[in-house]
Amino acid sequence: MATVRTALDDKVDPAIPESPALICIQDVIVEYGQPGKLPKRILNGVNLDIHPGEFISIVGQTGCGKSTLLRLVLAEEMPAHGQVLVEGSPRKQPDRRCGYVPQKYSLFPDRTVLENITFGLEVTEIGMFGSFSPARRVRRHEFQAEAIGYLRRMGLRESDAVKYPHQLSGGMQQRVAIAQALIMRPKILLMDEAFSALDPGTRAGMQRLIKDLWRETGTTILFVTHNPREAVTLATRVIALGRTGGDDAGANIVLNLAVPNANNELETAALVRRVEQSTFPAGTDLDEAGAPEL
Amino acid sequence: MSILQIHAQPSRTTVWILSWFLFATGIASYFWISRGRHLDNPDDRVMPTLRQMERAFADATLKPAEDDEVAANADRQSLVAKIRNSMLWKDTVATGRRFLISMALLFPAVLLGLHMGMFPYVGSFFLRFVLFFDKIVALSLLPILFIAFGIDELAKVMLIVVGVAPTIVLDAFNLTRSVPKEQIVKGFTLGAGDFSVTYRIVLKQIWPRVLNSIRLNLKAVMLFLFAGEMIASQDGLAYRIALLRRHMGMDTIIPYVLWVALLLFLVDFLMRTLNRKLHPWFQEA
Repeated sequence: MATVRTALDDKVDPAIPESPALICIQDVIVEYGQPGKLPKRILNGVNLDIHPGEFISIVGQTGCGKSTLLRLVLAEEMPAHGQVLVEGSPRKQPDRRCGYVPQKYSLFPDRTVLENITFGLEVTEIGMFGSFSPARRVRRHEFQAEAIGYLRRMGLRESDAVKYPHQLSGGMQQRVAIAQALIMRPKILLMDEAFSALDPGTRAGMQRLIKDLWRETGTTILFVTHNPREAVTLATRVIALGRTGGDDAGANIVLNLAVPNANNELETAALVRRVEQSTFPAGTDLDEAGAPEL
Repeated sequence: MSILQIHAQPSRTTVWILSWFLFATGIASYFWISRGRHLDNPDDRVMPTLRQMERAFADATLKPAEDDEVAANADRQSLVAKIRNSMLWKDTVATGRRFLISMALLFPAVLLGLHMGMFPYVGSFFLRFVLFFDKIVALSLLPILFIAFGIDELAKVMLIVVGVAPTIVLDAFNLTRSVPKEQIVKGFTLGAGDFSVTYRIVLKQIWPRVLNSIRLNLKAVMLFLFAGEMIASQDGLAYRIALLRRHMGMDTIIPYVLWVALLLFLVDFLMRTLNRKLHPWFQEA
């Protein structure tokens, strides 16, 4: 069985895949600080293995390091101690192995929907100076055809292809951002509160879409959310971060819960309750804590 | 209804009247005072009448400069040839040429600011120096520039570059830094390298704002250009204004000043229109 080293090993569900870990987070400590001041510890010795094809939801209270953990996998940030391995090698810089869908600024505002989706293909296959080559037009048509396919799959119309991001609704923008990431066929898709700014109806639609896409592509997904229900509904495993040793101690994994296919609302509710109990202290008003019901 | 209400909604006619009121008042006041002065002293040169300015402007537009070789056979020339040999045309071309060279030289300033914002080593190397350079009053460098580069075109162009480039560098630097980090990270995750991210994502996004920044600095560019021309030049709009000042040629100076303002307004309008056409996403966003 693959090892998942957490602060609460006894809570690890046995249904974790047997394949070697795709992402290996080893004893990671993250601290922020200014010169001359004591650094503030954000993550405190986090250990986590993530296997290919998993859908991981990361939950926790605001400021507990959910996004930091994602940025470590993305290599946008480096740990003060420990390391993050992807496919066995340490991360140095963000690269195309990880697709990224942030909550805001997920699309390039100066490009149309089609140009946004094909950007990755153009930049990797045509390059910076290859745009003058005769083969460019042919390749570009191929990219556009592929992008239109993704656009349709995301439930958008072909006529949306020529629109700029500011002409789309929040939900449409996130659909395009997902298409933009998936067209590069990343091994890992990192979503940082990607649906947080959406209204409940759009959000539910996006949840269905991402779940279907995950089933189709088998991409490993790390999904940061502060909504326990969303985490349980989507993921195969929920990682809850929390501070067990006071505010200055930094957060660690307080729950590592494999989510079985819940057959009914009762089972789902029980899982949600378990995540809530691990994530939020007793007596917290969950709505105020940023966990709105869907 | 009080006019000092935040939610006041003036009608279109009111807006039109209000926006032109100061122009109309200024022009009317000028000609009223001018008329009074000319009634007292018909040879007054301080506030020329409309007719005097018309005549002087026609001379500037249609007659060759006094020191021009073609002055002898000027009467036999076509209208286009007359305009092309005129004082105003030649001065405008001379100033325009210097202006365009200066604008072209601001492009490297944009690139420097971009690279300073994107690459920490480049930023560390240049930032402190540019910040210091920005505080130097460019006009105080004028004697040094004339000694170092002579009194030819180079000194005048350098004056503009020294005066405006640091502002443009710092503007481009700040605009680069203001591009959301998510966009840069996104670029990397889509397979772009450092230079692709720099030029294809960041430069493209800041470009309309940079154009705006250059547009807002047009007046500073012209200020330095005019200072250079007034002090050491043989042609140009500012050279002519400085020359006419010696003869109290207000009938030509005022049309020249208005001509410069019109040109600057047209350049500003052209840049705004181009920016809107080239970057529809920016204007609408």
